[in-house]
Amino acid sequence: MTHLRWGLIKQQMSVQFLVRTMNPLSLGLFVIQPAVFSAVGMLLSRAAGNSTPDLVYSVIGGGIMGMWSGLVFTSTFDIAGDRRNGMLELIVGSPTSLNLIESIRTFTNVLSGLFSLVLAFMAATFIFGYSFTGVNTWGVIVSLLLLLFAMWSIGVFLANFLAWSRLSGTFVDYLEMPIAFICGFMYPIRVLPVWLQHISGAIPIRWALEAMNESLLGSFDLKYLTIHWAMTIFLSLVLIAITTWMQVKVHDKIRLSGELSSI
Amino acid sequence: MIDKFVHIIRIYFAEAWLSYQGRFAITSPFGYIAGKLGFPFFLMLFFIFMGKYVGFSDPLYIVIGNILLIPASSGMGGVTLAISDERQWGTLSYVLGSPAPRGPVFMGRAFYYIVDGFVTALLGFGIAAGIFGLDLSTVNIFLLMICSLLIAVTSSGLGFLFGSISLVTRDGWMILSTFLSFLYILVGVNFPVASLPMILQKLSWGLPLTRGIMAARLVMEGEGWSSISSLITGEVLVGLVYIFIGYFFFLFLEKRSMHSGTLDAM
Amino acid sequence: MDSFAIETKSLNKVFITKTGFWKNKSKSTMAVEDISFSVERGELFGLLGPNGAGKTTTVKMLTTLLLPTGGTAKILGMDVVKQTAEVRKHIGFAFSGSRGLYNRLTAFQNLKYFAELYSLKDDFANKRIPMLLDLVGLADRADDRVETYSSGMTQRLHLARALLHDPEVLFLDEPTVGIDPVGSRDLRKTIKNLLSLGKTILLTTHYMAEAEELCHRIAIVKKGNIVALDTPDALKRRISGESVIEASIQSDQIQVLIDKLKVLDQRTVITHDTTTEPEKLCIRTTEPGRVLELLSPYLNPQYILNLEARSQTLEDVYIAIIQGDQA
Ligand SMILES: Nc1ncnc2c1ncn2[C@@H]1O[C@H](COP(=O)(O)OP(=O)(O)OP(=O)(O)O)[C@@H](O)[C@H]1O
Ligand SMILES: [Mg+2]
Repeated sequence: MTHLRWGLIKQQMSVQFLVRTMNPLSLGLFVIQPAVFSAVGMLLSRAAGNSTPDLVYSVIGGGIMGMWSGLVFTSTFDIAGDRRNGMLELIVGSPTSLNLIESIRTFTNVLSGLFSLVLAFMAATFIFGYSFTGVNTWGVIVSLLLLLFAMWSIGVFLANFLAWSRLSGTFVDYLEMPIAFICGFMYPIRVLPVWLQHISGAIPIRWALEAMNESLLGSFDLKYLTIHWAMTIFLSLVLIAITTWMQVKVHDKIRLSGELSSI
Repeated sequence: MIDKFVHIIRIYFAEAWLSYQGRFAITSPFGYIAGKLGFPFFLMLFFIFMGKYVGFSDPLYIVIGNILLIPASSGMGGVTLAISDERQWGTLSYVLGSPAPRGPVFMGRAFYYIVDGFVTALLGFGIAAGIFGLDLSTVNIFLLMICSLLIAVTSSGLGFLFGSISLVTRDGWMILSTFLSFLYILVGVNFPVASLPMILQKLSWGLPLTRGIMAARLVMEGEGWSSISSLITGEVLVGLVYIFIGYFFFLFLEKRSMHSGTLDAM
Repeated sequence: MDSFAIETKSLNKVFITKTGFWKNKSKSTMAVEDISFSVERGELFGLLGPNGAGKTTTVKMLTTLLLPTGGTAKILGMDVVKQTAEVRKHIGFAFSGSRGLYNRLTAFQNLKYFAELYSLKDDFANKRIPMLLDLVGLADRADDRVETYSSGMTQRLHLARALLHDPEVLFLDEPTVGIDPVGSRDLRKTIKNLLSLGKTILLTTHYMAEAEELCHRIAIVKKGNIVALDTPDALKRRISGESVIEASIQSDQIQVLIDKLKVLDQRTVITHDTTTEPEKLCIRTTEPGRVLELLSPYLNPQYILNLEARSQTLEDVYIAIIQGDQA
């Protein structure tokens, strides 16, 4: 059956890496665009008369942006590209399930996105002299791991949604900014109107991110962090459950409408 | 002579129609418009809250800038997509292999995107008036339209430049979208050009859009033609320079790609 | 286990597509209307038919890539809808065209990727992939990126991919498109080899000679229905009462002669081949004597340059069946 094999993971990851990540596109996605967002944040701050940039939200937030855009774009390219070049059909027609493949690919995409975040941390340290004093290191590490998990759960959800129809790609494109906006990728959630804060409460990324940012800002409030971590895990699991439930339907739907390939 | 002219005009509109069809083929008009406005809208909100957090107190500045970014990216993206899509679908060889003059073919396609960006921007101003209380009562709407249209046209020159790049690499589209993101910084969309470091300010004045956006901002403040005429003239001149560079770069790379056989390599 | 290798009963597929400006109208296309056939184990079964007849759609339903709208299909006794996962393990398939490969990867890397999707053991794959690349004549290009391949080479790679997991039932949709004559002959030899190993093969093709040489039985599909199903010989016998007369004619006189031949009975099929120089009329008839009689006054270089009667080929049968009942 379609159980997880080490060989499969290795093969998928390396092909995914060769086909998608090692691509000039990635330079734009994971490096340049996040840097641009960081720059907008810092220049806005400068225009507002501040003398030093906000390292957590402007610089490291840029890295989060890169991770997220990278995930959305590569997921879209994965499915749309495979559909266009006839690969989707061959993958679905093999005994290994598409869902398993998507999980592994998304994992690779999330890991690739980590590159953005690492760059952002390096920029913060070496360019802006961020010293990490007073940071809740363990809080950051746990939050980051959970953030990756949350991103992965959304990535799998998106991949499944993208497989649903040729049109889904268009919708996913429009999901990129709303999520970034509502989850406070480059500013704290509290600057948003309250009703928007409530909506973002349903998105797992938001909780992990908030915990990470607070830990970076030196919070050791264990209760606060635990609640955020628990929410991340809970919401990610809900998303995974929904995805699992949808996968069967998607598998049938695309074979009914003939949307496995663009004829 | 006149025959040739009619022929060129016909190609021009046939191509515009093709672009229109191409974009609509995948989605319904509703999804199309929602999609068109959706991304800029949320991007703008994102910038507004970034600004709010760091203490940048003028959200309307960001609103206006981002609305004017719509015709710019549409004009620029239009020509690039017209060329890079063809390549991706493997039809570029047929277009370039035909005796049709290149200018009208690709400008014709761009025409659709120019109009599209222009209309979307006007729609954007309307919506912003509703949501953010953007005050249009003292604004000379005609001048605002001129500015928006001008921005779309001048940026199509840059589109030729990036479109040409897609003749020799499959990543033209990506290079374009990276460049588009530079516009968030360079042309006075989210904050005044004057607050940029000196070296970037120099770069800004060498790009199209900077003067056009500035002119549009003056119009929004209720100024008339006399205060924007020099900015508009500058915008037209800079735009023309880019359209010429773009077009000749295209012809140059077309020749080159025929030698290297990269016309329809996926 | 005495089930058929492939068995379909009243297979049917209707595509619904959204059209119209507002994407609110739906249009249905009957791609496959009613197709039933069975293929024995070890048999090579051919599907022929004009473009858009529904061959690829049928193959895709049999390979679990499309869900039928109606009817059933079984592979080795397993239902393609209910036992999808099992079916997938036992079938291999290849479609024509340059799609279905990662262009940025080499042939070897592509095959390795699929080996993993089919859960092949590493050492098995490492032996089998070079063997298959050799079989399809790509051994010396194995480490080149697929984007540098010619169309015939990608086509060969498709076959190698389909054979990776040594499937019992093989579906080949137009496998020889774009392959050069020597390559096609090799490929036909490979296919026969596979048969001798006991594989079952379903093949679609537009090359009649290929179908005639390879297929044990042939189904001719037209507008989603099977209009004829038999062995090549039996199909040819079907129209054995007919003769084929080919006349090479001065182009400007063709219409004159076609008009003359209009008096022949309903079953006569006249096809006009404009690709040859001089142009040709091919007359399939049960009344060869009358044809000769009608044409004899024109047997001079102003009209007819050459006249010959020849034996039936599968192509004649195909054209008779596809065009014959169109009138
Ligand atoms: N995904 C799809 N959506 C809508 N219509 C489809 C789809 N796939 C095939 N069709 C239609 O179904 C019909 C049969 O197509 P099919 O590809 O099966 O023909 P075919 O016999 O393989 O033809 P060819 O010899 O050209 O390969 C055609 O009318 C085609 O337009
Ligand atoms: Mg077909």
